[in-house]
Amino acid sequence: MPTISPRDAVGNHTLALREVIRELGFESEIFSMFRHPDLMSDTHYVDRLPRDADVVIYQFSIGSPVAERWAQHPAIKIMNYHNITPISLVGKWDGLLAAEVQLGRDQMARYAKHCRHAICDSDFNKSELDELGYTSTETIPVMFDVTNATPDSSVLAKLERKRRGTQVLFVGRVAPNKAHHDLVAAVRTLRELHDDEAHLHFVGTDGPPGYRKVVETIVTHAGMRDHVTFHGSVSQEELVAHYLSADVFCCLSDHEGFCVPVIEAMHHGLPVVAFDCTAVGETVGDGGLLLKDKNPLIVASALHRVGSDSRLAQRLRVAGRHRADSFERSITRNRFSQYFSTLVGSL
Amino acid sequence: MSDSESDANYFKEVVAEIEAEAQRRSSSGEYPRALLRSLDEEFRRWIPDASLENGVEDTIRSIEAAAYVDPAVPISSRSSLGRCVKWIVRRLTYFYHRHVTQQITALGIHVTRPLRLLDANLKSVNRRLAALEDRLDVDATARSELLVGLAISSSFHEFVESLGQHFGQVSGRVLVGDLANVELVRGLRSAGVDAYGVASGSAPAQDAVDVRHEHLFDHLGDLENESLDGFILCGIPDYGSVNEQLRALRLLLLRSKPGAAVAVIVLHPETLAKRLSPVATDLLHGRPLHPETWDYLLAREGASNISVVESSESSHYLITANFL
Repeated sequence: MPTISPRDAVGNHTLALREVIRELGFESEIFSMFRHPDLMSDTHYVDRLPRDADVVIYQFSIGSPVAERWAQHPAIKIMNYHNITPISLVGKWDGLLAAEVQLGRDQMARYAKHCRHAICDSDFNKSELDELGYTSTETIPVMFDVTNATPDSSVLAKLERKRRGTQVLFVGRVAPNKAHHDLVAAVRTLRELHDDEAHLHFVGTDGPPGYRKVVETIVTHAGMRDHVTFHGSVSQEELVAHYLSADVFCCLSDHEGFCVPVIEAMHHGLPVVAFDCTAVGETVGDGGLLLKDKNPLIVASALHRVGSDSRLAQRLRVAGRHRADSFERSITRNRFSQYFSTLVGSL
Repeated sequence: MSDSESDANYFKEVVAEIEAEAQRRSSSGEYPRALLRSLDEEFRRWIPDASLENGVEDTIRSIEAAAYVDPAVPISSRSSLGRCVKWIVRRLTYFYHRHVTQQITALGIHVTRPLRLLDANLKSVNRRLAALEDRLDVDATARSELLVGLAISSSFHEFVESLGQHFGQVSGRVLVGDLANVELVRGLRSAGVDAYGVASGSAPAQDAVDVRHEHLFDHLGDLENESLDGFILCGIPDYGSVNEQLRALRLLLLRSKPGAAVAVIVLHPETLAKRLSPVATDLLHGRPLHPETWDYLLAREGASNISVVESSESSHYLITANFL
């Protein structure tokens, strides 16, 4: 993989995958070009990839020269595809990222003939590879641990103290494909029509340069400076406090390859309202309200309904928890274990 | 029915109710339509163009960040012995690594300096381009929407005879553009003038009349200098901005041979004002120039025999001239 970091979803998944393969009795190592200092002794630089390896699995989420090494390796090649954001959503915001994304899409198209098997996080990701002519594809969700940290009591108390109307939460990088600007418009409409004390909370690090600034401009233009809070990157304890304190989790992303925060919200009993696009629909499944249109009027009505209809909110909480359970790490881990057992048996 | 199916059906019903409520509010105008539209416009206004704004700078920053090469090789290892061995090797080879890395760092700095210069130049060009765009007509789309259906060439047939006489002695090609009425070309060809039209609008049936369907400026851009024996400028003087009108005249003169016969058909400014709605009057910053202005412009370019003919309803003027 191009980069490995312990605080990254793909990084954590890769570390977990290595354990699954080792438990099956095989040697397994991680090779990466950029390694987080905490993982230096536990991983290898990419040029140490042995030529006599039997199987090489590539974690594909961005374009990289590392992918070429994988494609040229004589071993059986497996791709673990985590999706690449379309260039149309990032191109204007981040020139460097756009170049990497474009390279990734080009590589993805070229590798169909090199790749023996491909594992995809979602059916949406699978459909992209199927369209490109990948012959053997399977959907197995990414392995992750839903955070069960003890909520930060001071953050929880602060959020409760300031609580007035409906508290809407979104967790994710502040990036154009996550459509924070659409959430601002929706909550502005919610305040106008139903609940003039509604508040929007954004949790997540800043993404492409400039997008956060533009969202803040929209917030000011909408007269929402006191009603939208950017919390930035938070600890696991603080994150749980946000999940427990909010009334509804709302995701209006234009592109997601999977969407872990939706599962986390459902796990913590937070009702989910989401725009049904890319992989969001299949991730939410029957555990939340899926909107086919993210017109602010519709989203505002949905948020108000969830915030004011206790029966609906309760059913969403229960259904959400049930849905989140299906992504439990032990389940996805077993699926990967079975997949590799079958694969090795077929070699 | 399982709990999951029951929930799924219930949630679908709720979404249908939500959509119906939203539809009702939308129909009755019970939502901040203007505000939402302004938020959308505000967002579109601020979408950057990374390739212009920060693409180069970000690239340079990343090169600069990578330009410094650390000569201290990492010594982390699974075993303490390995770490110790690596530390000793690093100490022994440090002079060598430092020498090599210093040269690589120097190279990186020398690479980024001209890139910085290039970036500054690009930004300067972008600033000047933006200033230029502000001065030019940036509302061309809005203007063209307002001009749809505006019949401004109905009196052309009155001028066919005068034009036939003016271009009667011209032996070569005469361009007519931006053409809105093929009858003008047909009439000229009947009078023995080798006329052809250039029309940027939709293509009606032309009955074998020689009309090119492309934008006048694109057509003039493809022509050789001094390839025309004359031209009739129409259409653009009626709705083009002053800048477009002057540019069209300049290009036509450049593409015309010495001695070319020229004509300009122009709507009377007051006629246009009467035909336009208040919205169009406010937003169309292009105005037909007065015949006196065309007289002045043509004389300034060295034209002679300038004459002005008015149509019967005083809605149009024909200005003819010859160049030496």
